[in-house]
Amino acid sequence: MSALVVARWTILEARRRRLVLAGVVLSVAFVALFAVGFALLYHSQERSLAEAGALGGRLDPREELLAMSTFLIVFGLYGVQFLAALLALFLGAASVSPEIDSGALHAVLARPLSRLEYLAGRFLALAALLVTYVVVMSAALMLVARVVAGYQPGDAARAVGLMVLEVLILLAVSLLGSTVLPTLANGVVMLALFGLAWLGGIIGFVGSIPPGNELMANLGTAVSLLLPADAVWRGASFHVLPTSFLVASSFANGEDVGLPFGSTAPMAPAMLAWAVAYPVACLGLAVAAFRRRDL
Amino acid sequence: MSRTASADQTAGIAGTGSAVPAIATSSLRKDFGTRVALHDLTLAVQPGEVFGFLGPNGAGKTTAMKILLGLVRPTGGEALVFGRSPAEPAARRRVGYLPEHFRFQEWATGAELLDFHGRLAGLGGAELAGRIPELLERVGLAGRGGERVRRYSKGMTQRLGLALALLARPDLVLLDEPTSALDPVGRREVRELVRELAAGGVTVFLNSHLLTEVEAVCDRVAIVSQGRVVASGQLDDLAGAVTQLRLLLDRADRELLALLSRHGQVVRVEGTAVTLAVETLDVAPDLARLLVTSGYRLYGLVPVQRSLEDVFVELVGEVREG
Repeated sequence: MSALVVARWTILEARRRRLVLAGVVLSVAFVALFAVGFALLYHSQERSLAEAGALGGRLDPREELLAMSTFLIVFGLYGVQFLAALLALFLGAASVSPEIDSGALHAVLARPLSRLEYLAGRFLALAALLVTYVVVMSAALMLVARVVAGYQPGDAARAVGLMVLEVLILLAVSLLGSTVLPTLANGVVMLALFGLAWLGGIIGFVGSIPPGNELMANLGTAVSLLLPADAVWRGASFHVLPTSFLVASSFANGEDVGLPFGSTAPMAPAMLAWAVAYPVACLGLAVAAFRRRDL
Repeated sequence: MSRTASADQTAGIAGTGSAVPAIATSSLRKDFGTRVALHDLTLAVQPGEVFGFLGPNGAGKTTAMKILLGLVRPTGGEALVFGRSPAEPAARRRVGYLPEHFRFQEWATGAELLDFHGRLAGLGGAELAGRIPELLERVGLAGRGGERVRRYSKGMTQRLGLALALLARPDLVLLDEPTSALDPVGRREVRELVRELAAGGVTVFLNSHLLTEVEAVCDRVAIVSQGRVVASGQLDDLAGAVTQLRLLLDRADRELLALLSRHGQVVRVEGTAVTLAVETLDVAPDLARLLVTSGYRLYGLVPVQRSLEDVFVELVGEVREG
């Protein structure tokens, strides 16, 4: 019960701090920009392909358009997950330590409320905001691609599910940081970790370029274990790709190496299991650390 | 069980009543790294008492209070609030608290903050709808509940803190320097509030370094210095433990001091005024006769009641020197 009171209070705080308003305005702008950009690029490419076809070009225009749509939607969703990731890190970092620093938490925790209930309430409310953001934004982008280009993602539900998992991982780890570190230090550590995870993804991608470099691929995986955010995004991006894209001739021939910020292979089951266990472990550690903390 | 045994023991030290004490601590200790904030604190506060916890800044008063609220974990010893460990959330159900720095979420309005705390304390929405305006009125914030806490002055914020402390109709109220931001009128209002609470049977535990505040409202006090209780007891007993006589004479020569030393201890000599610590006031008439027969002209002989401040400065000073 108390956790829900804290969750409601956290949502009120987000509204009062104009966080919700800013989020909605920026999201609408983002989706509008994506829709306009997507439609313009798609139609101009469609025209130039038609002209090239009239001149006897050798490219299959349908395949070309699908490749372009795929690139645009993956790129757009990459932007969504990037913004959501930063939002998750900031919200998590601002969830506990600033309340301790300001002293506002003293009166709250002097109530008949356990530290577990307090953290659960904070996490629930922030997770609800972030999940709403990710679901609404990714659905909006995929809808735009569908309306303009008739785009069909391979498995939209799995793609969105994994993007949701990614923000939960980031929120959980920065909430943990917020219970043990001062706000600024936590922000720095979280951004560094996030950057490292991103770098791990790139290293892994480079390692996967044919003929393949096992050492780099393993290094990429090792870094991803530290914070499996980018690995989960790559897993999500795989499910965004339409089935026809994966069997397209360019891939079958091994000419194309795929997408640098996405993945043309599904997530390894072991990494998925780790990614699910990761936020649970972070929250468990956060509760243990917060219980021991003197205010 | 060991819990009740220690509670009885601490009640025994306080020497009053046999009911479960509102607050009982035994050998409570808190270290922050190498700094010892609290050294072996043992005290008991009985239900309905107004207890003053006096001490200079940094004596460990706030740390003790935070332990009683479960905000800080003791390094050693035990603390009980109505017989329960403050680490259990349920033990805090009957407790109201005004923190020393009274900082609250500034983005919220006063009424929202009261509503949030009320719900955490288990009060229902309907009950709070009536309780919140009543409390705002009681602490002098009538009609200001809709304003953001950010816009409140320091004094208003402290008043809001008092409303929060009283919100859940507590049996025990812990006030940490409750008048630090208030003007003289506000201070008087808080004193009246504390008296009202006491009249209603509420136990009040008051941290303060303002002696007049404590003298005005407290039944019993403990003086802490450097994490230890250096004196505790009824206010009158503490202040009246030693009696002094102030003598005003025509001269204060060596013979006089020798004469006085036989009847008490000379505390101070200022010109021809001598302050003498005596065991009982009964020596006064004999002393007057003796001085006159010895050829001194006696202009005045007044018993001086030591103030709490004298006791405080003396005790805290001793510890600092030691």
